[in-house]
Amino acid sequence: MNSLPELQQRFQTAILGGEPTPGLFAEETPTREGGFAIYLQAYRARLTAALRDNFPVLARALGDDAFADMADAYIDRQPSHFRSIRWFGGTLADFLAAAPEHLPHPALLDLARMDWAMRSAFDAADAELLTFDEVAALRPEHWLGLSFRLIPSVRLVDLRWRIEPTWKALNADSAADSEEPEELPHTLLVWRRDLDCYWRSADACEARVLHALTRLASFADCCLLIAESGDQQAARTAAAFVQRWIAEGLLARD
Amino acid sequence: MGGKLESFGLGLRTEHYRDFLAAPQAVDWLELISENYLVAGGKPLYFLDRIRQDYPMVLHGVSLSIGSSDPLDAGYLRELRGLVDRVEPAWVSDHLCWTGTRSLNLHDLLPLPYTEETLRHLVPRVAQVQDALGQALLLENVSSYVRYLADEMSEWEFIRELVGRTGCELLLDVNNVYVSSVNHGFDPRVFIDAVPVEAVRQIHLAGHEDHGDYLIDTHDHPVCTAVWDLYAYTIGRLGPVATMIERDDHIPSLAELVGELDSARSLARRALATRKQAA
Repeated sequence: MNSLPELQQRFQTAILGGEPTPGLFAEETPTREGGFAIYLQAYRARLTAALRDNFPVLARALGDDAFADMADAYIDRQPSHFRSIRWFGGTLADFLAAAPEHLPHPALLDLARMDWAMRSAFDAADAELLTFDEVAALRPEHWLGLSFRLIPSVRLVDLRWRIEPTWKALNADSAADSEEPEELPHTLLVWRRDLDCYWRSADACEARVLHALTRLASFADCCLLIAESGDQQAARTAAAFVQRWIAEGLLARD
Repeated sequence: MGGKLESFGLGLRTEHYRDFLAAPQAVDWLELISENYLVAGGKPLYFLDRIRQDYPMVLHGVSLSIGSSDPLDAGYLRELRGLVDRVEPAWVSDHLCWTGTRSLNLHDLLPLPYTEETLRHLVPRVAQVQDALGQALLLENVSSYVRYLADEMSEWEFIRELVGRTGCELLLDVNNVYVSSVNHGFDPRVFIDAVPVEAVRQIHLAGHEDHGDYLIDTHDHPVCTAVWDLYAYTIGRLGPVATMIERDDHIPSLAELVGELDSARSLARRALATRKQAA
């Protein structure tokens, strides 16, 4: 007789391996339908559906069959350790980077990265936003020691391809035609304001400063970073960044 | 709200958020899938907090894995307790099942072997969950497609034993009873007759897929006639129990679901009248 741990281990191994396990069930199912086969089919269908929810634009770009094949390979390689299926797929982009044969074009890897960034910003923590009035009230001598804090939903994603137009077109229309993306390494900025998610690209200088802010850099550190890029008016540029970020709702109130 | 004839609820789904905020609906309470709200912020919690102002709620989880041979997930219990504190639900439920072992999650509600060993495994775990949540746990019978050679008793005997040993309460899913009865060839009324009456706090109704030789619990169809009949039989035996309809796929308009809920109300009213006459 199977102990509970042994029974569950055998059941799970059979699900992961895709084959029924003899000697476990009261009624052995002679065909692929009914009985244990329902669990087998449901397992892959459920995880594939979760990936489709989390990567809607990648799914549209690949089409149903190619997406299902890719999902199968990922599910085999990285079964879920998550208590909620909502998080399944967090390593899909890394998987695809290591197994590019699942993508017809390398730029689709960046679509996966953008999908996940949008999805993870969707239910990231809320934050109260820093306002212009609060910044205007700061005394000038306090600026250099200040650390501006990004809101929790900010995602900075380094992309190799300019895939945003493709993402935008496919997100709006699953049948949209898209041109081949240009190879253009850059940083994508994703965030949520109130209930809606937004994105735009950031140039190299702004991306460096934003990355620094995620490490709690001070305003003075930010100015130094900007100066390193050859900007003679680093403080003015940094102030312009801060102004833009406040307008966009990227900075949190302490 | 438990135990009142007029207590009829629906599962809260994103498709209906704005309907619930736009106008009062003929729904007495709402059931949340706990995991959908174990997030840091954004739309799920925004709508939850606003709709909660107008409706009592209960929490219904899918990740507890009460029967897994793995230890209970303390992090999950902490997060769930946080949601309990936020929502102040009338009760919390999950499934009498396991979802994975060795730290993996198959994201399915897998049947347990109905053995003395499983009972002994469950008893302290139910207590641990109830301690962590600070309230009674309702466990739901699942639909199943296999039975184990290791089974030592029927599902209903197992449930009776579990209730007797733990004091847990039950979420009786009438559709699941029916699906399992067809798949395993037992009389669903035998199951209903064996359920400990005092332990049943909530009833689920749902639709399923009929594949001829077997049924699959899909929650993507209206409740079928056979399940309505079994529901009437159940109410006739148990008396009034808070009842809700689950729909997780092919989600119709809220008006259509409220109409289906009205059918449950009418049917329960008739079943209770018959019960009263018989008494």
